[in-house]
Amino acid sequence: MIENKQYVACAHCDLLLDAPVLQQDQFSACPRCGHKISRLRKSLMAQLLAFGVTALMLLVLSSCFSLMTMNIGGNISDISLWQSALNLYFDQYKVLSLIVFVLVVLIPAMVVSLILFFVLMIRINVRPKMLSNILRLIFGLLPWAMAEVFLVGVLVSLVKLVTISQIELGFSFWTYALFCICYAKVLSLLDRYQLWSWLSNGYRHA
Amino acid sequence: MPRYSAGSAAANGLVNCTECGLVSDNTVLICPRCNAKLSVRRTYSLQITLALLSTALLLFIPANLLPMMITEKLGQVEYNTILGGIILLWKEGSEPIAAVVFIASVLVPILKFIILFYLCVCSMSRDAISAKARGHLYRLTELIGRWSMVDIFVVAVLVALIQLDHLLNVQPGTGTIAFAAVVVLTMFAANAFDPRILWDKPLTREDQDSARN
Repeated sequence: MIENKQYVACAHCDLLLDAPVLQQDQFSACPRCGHKISRLRKSLMAQLLAFGVTALMLLVLSSCFSLMTMNIGGNISDISLWQSALNLYFDQYKVLSLIVFVLVVLIPAMVVSLILFFVLMIRINVRPKMLSNILRLIFGLLPWAMAEVFLVGVLVSLVKLVTISQIELGFSFWTYALFCICYAKVLSLLDRYQLWSWLSNGYRHA
Repeated sequence: MPRYSAGSAAANGLVNCTECGLVSDNTVLICPRCNAKLSVRRTYSLQITLALLSTALLLFIPANLLPMMITEKLGQVEYNTILGGIILLWKEGSEPIAAVVFIASVLVPILKFIILFYLCVCSMSRDAISAKARGHLYRLTELIGRWSMVDIFVVAVLVALIQLDHLLNVQPGTGTIAFAAVVVLTMFAANAFDPRILWDKPLTREDQDSARN
């Protein structure tokens, strides 16, 4: 097998470059198209673990309590994260419910737990063959995790309802908002080049 | 004129794995690191992108004409399309939110259609603006595409929340499915497009001049 570890190619314009040798907090970008190739962050693994675990806990918390409560003339109804998908399912809107469930709950949860799993496996230096499939899966799922889009959706529906009812944001809304922040942090830490090089070269303390 | 841009991995007989970024010799068929299929450029990138994009464009018509949300208020039934909902929001005095929804569900899809079609046409013929700018346009479509889903989530939340029988209830309209399909298809189209082909065709005179200086 031929492996060219001394080269990388820009994913966006295919310019052949020497593999980046980075000092801490330096990043490398493609000189031709400006696509960011890698960034060596301080204690990347620790940060990934910390924010990943926090995000996962917040997501679990968010699915336990109500997202918002609505009161129209004494008729009170509230929804949780699960219900926003499940109610739809039982009301015969199966496609819509599936879209919400998959994009808002399932995929974000999968991405975070797979990242945690991957980082832990690298940490304890166990590298089963499926680890490369997991890493591929993580990057494949990324565009489909729409947690922050859902958050904006909740806010917009809040504004729509404010005129006709008394509406209160529940505990879950805030934990979900915090989850989105942690999740965004995890995303900004994800670095294709570094993670794949952990897999092929092993992780060394930086 | 060489087919691949000067200095690219492809021009050097190498192939970059789209999954893990490992550079291999172009005789290798399966990436030794991640087992992904290797090809110098994504196969049928333009055809697949155009096919998905045209499907999405067709679905964009029912997505805008069919109701997104059906509201029943004290026996009166009201049908709201995407634009109708935005106009309603605007009239009720929440202009910023109306603007957000307008950008997410009208402007972003249209922008995405225009950019992706434009990029496809560009890579088939010569064009004036530089490959670098086109690369930026492509990254823009990747970035903004997902935000169109906002409207679907709004409908989902409202439907799940407001179920007071005949007093007030909300049902999703057929438009939601069409609109969700538009968003998903355009995201797949952006994924299928290979930005590396933007650099492959012969460079324009301007680019050559600037490269010489």
